[in-house]
Amino acid sequence: MALEFKNTQLSNGLDVLVEINPNAHSVAMGFMVKTGSRDEAPQVSGVSHFLEHMMFKGTAKRSSDDVNREFDEIGAKNNAFTSNEVTCYYAQVLPEFQERALDLLSDMLRPKIADADFDMEKKVILEEIALYLDRPSHVLFEALMADHFVGHSMANSVLGSKESITALSRDQMRTYFDARYGPGNMVLAVAGKVDFAETIALAEKYCGHWKHLDVQRVCQNPVLAAKRHPIRDEKLKRHYVAGLCPGPSAQDDDRYAAMVLSDVLGDHEGSRLYWALVETGLADEADFSFYPHDHTGSFMIYASCDPQRAAQVEGILLGELDQVLKEGLTEEEVHRSKTKIGTSLVLQGESTLGRMRGLAQRWTYNREYRTLEQDIAMLDSITRDQLQRVSEKYGFAPMTIDTLGPNAS
Amino acid sequence: MTAPSPVTALDSTTQYAHKLSNGLTLVAEAIPAVRSAAMTLLIPAGAANDPLDASGASSVVAEWVLRGAGSRDSRALSAYLDDLGTQRGSQAETLFTRFSASLLGSNLLGILPVYADIVRAPHLHDDGFAPSQDLALQQLSAIEDEPSSKLSILLRERHYDFPFGRSTSGIRQDVEAMSAEKLRSDFAQRFTPQGAILSVAGAFDWPALKDATEKAFGTWVAPPAVAWPARKAPCGTHHETQQTNQVQIGLAYDTLPDNHPDSILVQTTLNVLSGGMGARLFVEVREKQGLCYSIHAGYHSFRDRAAIFGYAGTAPDRAQRTLDSFFVELHRLSNGITRDELERAKTMMKARVIMQGESSGSRAGSLAYDIYQRGRTRTLEELRLLIDSVTLARVNDYLSANPIRNVTLVTVGPEALKVET
Repeated sequence: MALEFKNTQLSNGLDVLVEINPNAHSVAMGFMVKTGSRDEAPQVSGVSHFLEHMMFKGTAKRSSDDVNREFDEIGAKNNAFTSNEVTCYYAQVLPEFQERALDLLSDMLRPKIADADFDMEKKVILEEIALYLDRPSHVLFEALMADHFVGHSMANSVLGSKESITALSRDQMRTYFDARYGPGNMVLAVAGKVDFAETIALAEKYCGHWKHLDVQRVCQNPVLAAKRHPIRDEKLKRHYVAGLCPGPSAQDDDRYAAMVLSDVLGDHEGSRLYWALVETGLADEADFSFYPHDHTGSFMIYASCDPQRAAQVEGILLGELDQVLKEGLTEEEVHRSKTKIGTSLVLQGESTLGRMRGLAQRWTYNREYRTLEQDIAMLDSITRDQLQRVSEKYGFAPMTIDTLGPNAS
Repeated sequence: MTAPSPVTALDSTTQYAHKLSNGLTLVAEAIPAVRSAAMTLLIPAGAANDPLDASGASSVVAEWVLRGAGSRDSRALSAYLDDLGTQRGSQAETLFTRFSASLLGSNLLGILPVYADIVRAPHLHDDGFAPSQDLALQQLSAIEDEPSSKLSILLRERHYDFPFGRSTSGIRQDVEAMSAEKLRSDFAQRFTPQGAILSVAGAFDWPALKDATEKAFGTWVAPPAVAWPARKAPCGTHHETQQTNQVQIGLAYDTLPDNHPDSILVQTTLNVLSGGMGARLFVEVREKQGLCYSIHAGYHSFRDRAAIFGYAGTAPDRAQRTLDSFFVELHRLSNGITRDELERAKTMMKARVIMQGESSGSRAGSLAYDIYQRGRTRTLEELRLLIDSVTLARVNDYLSANPIRNVTLVTVGPEALKVET
């Protein structure tokens, strides 16, 4: 059954997107705020993510306990996440709890940020930083982003560092909040068993009084160069290698072809890297993925292997990219990847959370809506020649390669 | 304030079951609003019945069987599944090797003969063995780089009696000593339809699914898989010294298995302890004391034994306080829970049940689990009624009669912690 999409903009600039699925059993809703680590000055590194935590610590009307308890009272599946570019707060609930969920989520977005809560939550953030320091793939990814995008805001760490978080003050966070959390810099996306008029009325009731604010993101072009950064950690048993090179942005029409290309090359099943590295047992993981960002974009390669195979595995990873540039792809593999992606779009479409997130993301980057059918038609129209053209245009260069392992590279 | 109960009615789902004469159970649940179908196939070869001198055999075999089966070699097999848009996974677990797949319902019948080939007629050629073994060895090294994975393996090994605590990743010297020949014979003994479960949820036609299953699996005959006698677990306290940024804390204690009539009381309690953001562990240890980022507890059940597993990760200088606070919350449970806590737990559990009904993948997994646990499937409506049957008196009587004791504790980090007794 076709889903129905409607949208409106409140007078304060908040975009409200609603996708109605009468067959759903639940409603998913989320505020996606166009702010993340790339919008942070160096002295407040990590503030977007820390602020996301503070949103759960109480408002003028609710204590932190109230916020947490009320989500449980309505049986919500809820969470929040922060990336380099967006911060999202969401909940999936049964339809009868739609209003309570929206009341709660919207109230959270006007946080109290009390001193005592700020100091307490700072300890939790420092623990989260420590947790990720024990995950080699995360350590490598952070280093890779910093190296590849050096001098550009995409290099900023989402979590920040122990030092930046320790030094951060409550006032700096409040200033950041006041500058970024305007209604015009976010969307409210709602998907599932909902009524449009009722949803708009609720959005008006709970968010209509938010003051309009002019918010800008400065998007520069990154200055990229081929480079290499080996990181040694004698404690590790495995060697990890990752590389970033330019790809289409979230606004570029080439992104669809890039998505198919990343599946052909790097899906965890049946891709070129799978056959070259995992099937042969040379690496236990090998990926090629596409990351479209706001007005810039990347392709990433990644593998983990035994330290003594480091050079061999990296050679094969890069060799597979060269092979695409020299010989292109086959019709058969392009068709196969399109089928796989098409099925995953249908599966994602059956989840209200999946639809909500897609709605919010697309509007945040492109202010557009597409039905599942339009997405599948777009996918069907992609040709092998387009993939070839995109590969040649970006050329997988310049490439930044970072490695992490027990040996000096 | 007391939360109202969900009033959303559950669709009348239609369930089907068919037992093949060779012992394989087929179950299915139609979900009217979806186009997808999800399949779970459980084969009774898991870490628990790995040969005694070959821990990790099921993991190596789970990888190896995909490298060609029936008339297709490794690439043809993968291409066939990809051409039908099959999103898939396979892994050895404690009791079963699990194959799961999601795709458009219209393509479902096309993959059944392929999965039958994988479990009945894999090639198991010599040239696929070495890479499968190599990947298993790499997995063992990778665990050393991930302290939280290492912790959960150690905790299960020490808490559950042998062979239930055996790790699916196996033991390095066992994996190194494996040969293609030995694992072929192991495969023949454990890949059997007896006790195997095939579940499907989503969009399908039952008569056609039943026929296709009979056709693909009906002529498969093999003796039952071995099961090793149980041997008492070490339990107690164990510390593994490793230079990590955080101390990993894991604890476990026994509880009722899922097929016990009172297991719903355990699960209600677990929701109060660690269900949502308002749960006790999160609020008391993280929110009020800021001791850790991650703290939670989960329920895990075999047919005849079950345990609550608790986890926290925190900096070395705060680890002792975190552990002490964890124990305070566990022991506080025997004083009972409040009516508000009960109502919240019930609302959360019921909402999860209804939301699960939207996902073919999670329903297929639950159906297979039900067959393993109780030999029959439960509808979402039955689950909802079960949750409704929970009263405060039942939960609190259970908690006061079953104080938490005999906790197994494992820590991974720079220094050991002190345990209260």
